[in-house]
Amino acid sequence: MANPLKLYLTCIRNTLEAAMCLQNFPCQEVERHNKPEVELKTSPELLLNPVLICRNEAEKCLIETSINSLRISLKVKQADELENILAKKFLRFLSMRAEAFQVLRRKPVQGYDISFLITNYHCEEMQKQKLIDFIVQFMEDIDKEISELKMSVSTRGRLVASEFLKQFL
Amino acid sequence: MATFERASPALKEILLRIYNAEKPIEVDHHLYEFGSVEYYIKSSASEPFTYLSISTPLLSQGVFLSYGLSPYTLQMVRDISIDALDIVEPPTDGYQLTLRLDFSKLPHDKESLKIITEVSSVQAVILSSQLKEMLQNVNSWDISQGMYKPIKLIYHPREPFYVIRQPQKIVAVFPMRFKDHSDVIIATSFFQELMDVGSSGKWAKVPHCNWSPIPPPELIGEPFEDLSTNGGFVSFDISSHHVEGKRLDKTVWSLLNFYAYVKHHVKCTRGFIQRRMRRRMDSLVQVLEKSMIEENGEIKKIKGWKKMKKWMRLTSKSKMIKRRYHDFRKKMKRIRFRIKIHGFARFRRRWLTMPNFSSSMGYTQLKNNN
Repeated sequence: MANPLKLYLTCIRNTLEAAMCLQNFPCQEVERHNKPEVELKTSPELLLNPVLICRNEAEKCLIETSINSLRISLKVKQADELENILAKKFLRFLSMRAEAFQVLRRKPVQGYDISFLITNYHCEEMQKQKLIDFIVQFMEDIDKEISELKMSVSTRGRLVASEFLKQFL
Repeated sequence: MATFERASPALKEILLRIYNAEKPIEVDHHLYEFGSVEYYIKSSASEPFTYLSISTPLLSQGVFLSYGLSPYTLQMVRDISIDALDIVEPPTDGYQLTLRLDFSKLPHDKESLKIITEVSSVQAVILSSQLKEMLQNVNSWDISQGMYKPIKLIYHPREPFYVIRQPQKIVAVFPMRFKDHSDVIIATSFFQELMDVGSSGKWAKVPHCNWSPIPPPELIGEPFEDLSTNGGFVSFDISSHHVEGKRLDKTVWSLLNFYAYVKHHVKCTRGFIQRRMRRRMDSLVQVLEKSMIEENGEIKKIKGWKKMKKWMRLTSKSKMIKRRYHDFRKKMKRIRFRIKIHGFARFRRRWLTMPNFSSSMGYTQLKNNN
């Protein structure tokens, strides 16, 4: 069922292309400070309407935009308990190493599994299209990795079970 | 206990040291393992024997404490080495068994190492002999006993398991407990695979394996703290086929080490998941880094890079030609000057080169002083 995934990712890509129009905007509250407005949410005139894209009840993407920053929060598919712990472990592993990704948030937004924070500085250092490609690629890779991990754990379990039962022969 | 090795490594090392010593040595060691197993090794220079005393919590505390070790267990211990090993009665105070070892009666080849290894595994022999005794009586179930009460066995202090006699088989039930929730999920996945593999046609001869999240009905009446688990209950049906001949030893050892096996598998799986996550993270970071580097290159190209590139190409070509010419000249000089004197090249360059009188700017005409 690659088509529903493709449509979901295309919708996210199009939304990001529209939302990623960021510019430098110093903080209105504190002088000489420059903060991502999407995190503070103190000035409603600087915030755009958040967009929630749902593939199904379990998978969704929340895109919150402001004048100088953009926050993308993802909820990843978790079909059973094993996928649940694998997704939790993996995304927590990545979040703890957020400095390697620059655009990754250390703590996901409540109700989601992982969050990105893109500021105008990131848009200056990186090309917008490449950044959007990275986000979409990241989403695909996460799904793929969790499926592969689940299969590997099951395969390992099967092999170990066979080895244990061999002792009785 | 929670180990796959039957022999105690520390005990084996001490016994080998005594055996390999040229002269009898004084040894007086107390060894403690796993918090509850105690060994006492005593050897003196004046006596040719070495005494080994063992104290270990037994699998089933109920019957055996009153009468000491069963004759079957004692026979199993004697069978390790009939010549070199003897059981001392009564055992040393505070210990359940004392052995007298005569290393002079051991053969002087690889067989001696094997015997010493078996002596070092005496604790495993004691514990497995108790379970062997129970499993050997699979078909001799006495109908007059009525209800089959589960027998609680403790191989690891916090991990008891049960053996329940039934007509034509014995059921071993393992209540599984884990500290971490993720360990529970990984182990549950393993138990389901164990059930799937065991129920396939290829593995028809292995004990039937079953996993359930709730205690089996045979354990009704057991203490609540023993039945409260987070990993469910795994049970194996042992029939007479699994305890025939050499299979008895393997079956017993597999059952005693089932907890350790599961814990080891869970630990290895966690390590595997960690390694995969790390590798995937590296690949994701590389994708982001590549996009940043490419991005910088593209921006420079867009800002009138084309002309610069052309000019760079030209200058670098002429430099390359010049370099090649110099190399060729050097080579020719080397061939012409066959006699090599160390340091002469430098001397020649400094003192023997002809000065260059021609000037690119022009020449200075000498004034005629007539």
